[in-house]
Amino acid sequence: MPYLYNTPEDQQAMLDAIGADSLEDLFAPIPAALQLDRSLDLPPALSEIEMDHTLRTLAAQNAHGGNSVCFLGGGSYDHFIPAVVDTIGSRSEFYTSYTPYQPEASQGNLQVVFEYQSLITRLTGMDVSNASLYDGASATAEATLMAASATRTRKKILVPASLHPEYRATVATYLKNLDLQLITLQTPTGVLDPDLLASALDDSVAAVVLQQPNFFGCLEDAHRVSQLTQAAGALLISAFDPISLGILQPPGAYGANIAVAEGHGLGTPMSYGGPYLGILACDQKLVRRMPGRIVGETVDRHGKRCYVLTMQTREQHIRREKATSNVCTNQGLFALRATVYLSQLGPQGLRETAQLCLQKSHYAAKQLCQADRFTLAFDQPTFKEFVIRDAENNVASLLQSAQRAGYLAGVPLAPWYPELADCFLVAVTEKRTRAEIDGWVQALTTAQGACSKRPDLMAQP
Amino acid sequence: MNPEELQYAKTHEWVAVAETDGEKIATLGISAFAVEALTDLVYIDLPEVGKQVTAGEPFCEVESVKAVSDIYAPVDGEVVAVNEALPDALETLGSDPYGAGWIAKLKISSEAGLGELMDHAAYEKQCSEEAH
Amino acid sequence: MRNTRDTQSLFELSRPGRRAARLPACDVPEREITDLLPADAVRQAPPELPELSEPQIIRHFVNLSTQNMSVDTHFYPLGSCTMKYNPKRNERAAAMPGFAELHPYQDESTLQGMLAILYEMQEMLQEISGLPACSLQPAAGAQGEFTALLVAAAYFQDLGETRTKILVPDNAHGTNPASAVMAGFEAVTVQTSAAGYVDMEDLAAKLDEQVAVLMITNPSTLGLFEPNMQQIAEQVHAVGGLVYLDGANMNAILGITQPGAFGVDMQHYNPHKTFSGPHGGGGPGAGPICVTEKLAPYLPAPIIVKELRVAKELRVASCESRERKESRVTSCESREQATAAHNPQLATRNSKLPYFRLDTNRPKSIGRVRAFFGNVGVLLRAYVYIRTHGPAGLRRVAENAVLNANYLLSRVQHILPVPQGNRCMHEFVASASELKRQQNISAMDLAKRLLDYGYHAPTVYFPLTVPEAMMIEPTESEGKETLDAFAETLFRITEESAELLHEAPHTTPVSRPDEVRAARQPVLVWNG
Repeated sequence: MPYLYNTPEDQQAMLDAIGADSLEDLFAPIPAALQLDRSLDLPPALSEIEMDHTLRTLAAQNAHGGNSVCFLGGGSYDHFIPAVVDTIGSRSEFYTSYTPYQPEASQGNLQVVFEYQSLITRLTGMDVSNASLYDGASATAEATLMAASATRTRKKILVPASLHPEYRATVATYLKNLDLQLITLQTPTGVLDPDLLASALDDSVAAVVLQQPNFFGCLEDAHRVSQLTQAAGALLISAFDPISLGILQPPGAYGANIAVAEGHGLGTPMSYGGPYLGILACDQKLVRRMPGRIVGETVDRHGKRCYVLTMQTREQHIRREKATSNVCTNQGLFALRATVYLSQLGPQGLRETAQLCLQKSHYAAKQLCQADRFTLAFDQPTFKEFVIRDAENNVASLLQSAQRAGYLAGVPLAPWYPELADCFLVAVTEKRTRAEIDGWVQALTTAQGACSKRPDLMAQP
Repeated sequence: MNPEELQYAKTHEWVAVAETDGEKIATLGISAFAVEALTDLVYIDLPEVGKQVTAGEPFCEVESVKAVSDIYAPVDGEVVAVNEALPDALETLGSDPYGAGWIAKLKISSEAGLGELMDHAAYEKQCSEEAH
Repeated sequence: MRNTRDTQSLFELSRPGRRAARLPACDVPEREITDLLPADAVRQAPPELPELSEPQIIRHFVNLSTQNMSVDTHFYPLGSCTMKYNPKRNERAAAMPGFAELHPYQDESTLQGMLAILYEMQEMLQEISGLPACSLQPAAGAQGEFTALLVAAAYFQDLGETRTKILVPDNAHGTNPASAVMAGFEAVTVQTSAAGYVDMEDLAAKLDEQVAVLMITNPSTLGLFEPNMQQIAEQVHAVGGLVYLDGANMNAILGITQPGAFGVDMQHYNPHKTFSGPHGGGGPGAGPICVTEKLAPYLPAPIIVKELRVAKELRVASCESRERKESRVTSCESREQATAAHNPQLATRNSKLPYFRLDTNRPKSIGRVRAFFGNVGVLLRAYVYIRTHGPAGLRRVAENAVLNANYLLSRVQHILPVPQGNRCMHEFVASASELKRQQNISAMDLAKRLLDYGYHAPTVYFPLTVPEAMMIEPTESEGKETLDAFAETLFRITEESAELLHEAPHTTPVSRPDEVRAARQPVLVWNG
């Protein structure tokens, strides 16, 4: 066995010291009737070489960054990860440690989280940040619970259809068995209509969740939405894209009360959707309603500056059923990676990254829409994503065709928006070159509609 | 206030009842024994003025670094005042628990709970039993 | 040796004009930002991030890393956290571009290798549990609890029953009652006896038809296998309730017993504990859940299903890349060979090959608890762990985890009595209350002084049911020498003066931070 180091002699000496006859004897507290009388039905053990071979074989069956060009977005993006992020993220003093229960043995982790919190507040313009949550969707759900607890008697959460559909689904799941109601406002123009919002706001609304830029890549009228929301006494939850804040106004500038985000773009790989980094920052007055861990600065017994977990009475290990959330862990490793990433980019680097996303995505949209077949679905300003309408209404085979040419060309919207079944979502990050964009345009504009029968074939094995 | 003249709840709140303009007002805080037992208090979540409280029900919380403790209402009534200075000067709970460390004033709507309270001697006895 | 200059705050190290990243020049025609974005959407000034050089960044974080204890540097017997060795081959696997660079919305035909692993993971977790259905979606153990309780709620709603209560033993992890409340239930505490077991009388008193679920941690946080487990499950089932297993302590029972066999209807796993995914300084974890057949329809979607498709069709569907202009996509041949290599028995052209599909059409599903598929990076590490152990290896993991814990218990109980007896499963909870009374040495003092000797401290003051608790879990990846040395160190510490211990640790970068100050006047961001 690879990771055990007791020899048979050690084991015998240990059993003798315990006063046990055998290893089986140690399991005597488990009634015999409950003990498994066979081996687990699992594949036999692989050596490291065999395992490596199996993994390489399986990895080769996937289209990935090494053999395809990624134009997919919708909350997960092919942003660049600087080498320093991997170097620091691979320090086993970081990744093989755990929650800093003993601050004296965890100052490295604690200071990193304190720096992470500080960077997030500077990025967002919010007062405070927690030490991170699971991902953007669950952070959004936690924010709605925070808002509901802060506004007490208000029971409604308003979300526009332009909020990520999986975030809406997550919020719906979190609210399902609580005395709270989720109301979705339609967004036929690609953004939330402030008049529609105004008509839906009343003194029963606890919070409005606004994604900026939204799921379609469009910019919402955040200032107007914020004014309306605050005037109705509700809280504004902003779901932002951290990279966009190199160029876009931060949630704090338009008056968001809680800001949440999917933070994987700050140095964590796409990894088929997780694990990721849930960012949550808020106004000072909401700090005691925050879920999750928080690190604070203090001094030690010699008066030396240091860091500890603080305000722990909010948390489940102390308050149990009255806790602000059941969250236990944070995403320490990815908070670390985000901290290194933001340190590496600095204000200029983040701004340039955002600029490249902005310029390249607009170039891509413009080039593609020169073909008659393609138009932008929404007449709204966008940042790094946009929605393309296919006049031939043949999105599935179009994307399959591009895939065969080596392009992960877009995300079809049909599964979430039946009315947008002729549309797909495209993301262009700073990594895409003009040649790749031109190749993507070429792949989409020369795609043959002839393979439209293929999905049917696939459906019948 | 002189602790010997106060009344006490089993849950370690002290109460002083006074009559102003025909209304009975209960001032309450937590006893020196409780402050000591709770160790370094770090936060108090004061109730809102106007809140209706029920005898025996928690209406306010105090926190130490790793514990949360409820403060129970000794009588039915309405919160008419809270010690706004307290959250920023929690040390007064320790230095002057029966004076500057008061927590809230309640306008009593039913005196039923008052009968359950102990005098100083009885409370001292309870504390000495709890200490063992 | 210690470099304190470079571990100053990032903001103190920052100097205007310094920078580390160089971005490429824009290779597309640039347009004015004001043409592209409305003026009020554009940030006035860049965010006030620190300005640093790359060598400075590396030195800052590398020096900070040396201020941590970790599994790779120290014995880390933190009870209930299963701080076992984190195999490096798992890390390498998760970093392979064929896994790390997959987008969650790629078409499933481009993900067959990934989905094959995740499908197999579902199957393997089901077998280890003895439960027939699995969802890999939850992001952590606590989210697994929450998800399973929502599954239970949906099940009872379907039956037309309104059940309001979740029973939780008093020594359970705090996430259990917190999850119950988030799922819309009332958490009701069940007492445990002095011996550390569920108090059967109290259980009987609280068990009625309002009870939806009993959450139980077995082996418990005290490191004990619940002797009345079958009886408890029978009683809960008799009132129509379900039994949930907090799988935090699965390390003790891998291949020894299956939760499905002891009456469990649903459970979560903590792959970052049991299956060695690293703890990452606090995360990420993952919280896959397994459930019985009748609960399967309510699991979050999607679930991966395996279908057999005729090789010819597969070839047409996913591999027709003849026309492509560049060879970016793995060639058709190599992909087929790859599939065949993974499934040698299915290699012939006209036989059927497995095809893995994401099943989203699950009308009774509770929905989702997070975006995207799951914490795949963590699951992948767990997959490698299970595959490199096999059935015999996993059983030996459990045996050695239990052997190590019992051995350490036998070595320390003369100094630190274990109220719940002289045998345990994967961990035990010792009490320093005798030491405290006789020598004025608390569990905290011992914990802090252990740091000076190069050991991470056990979990202290949990569970709350044991006074001056020290919860010790050595895990299987430690050896007898380490345990002997640890026990001797503990003994040596008890011979030291109480005064010395009250001020410990003496060798760490900081000592006894003022937590009261941190909580009274919270300083949560750098404002220097």
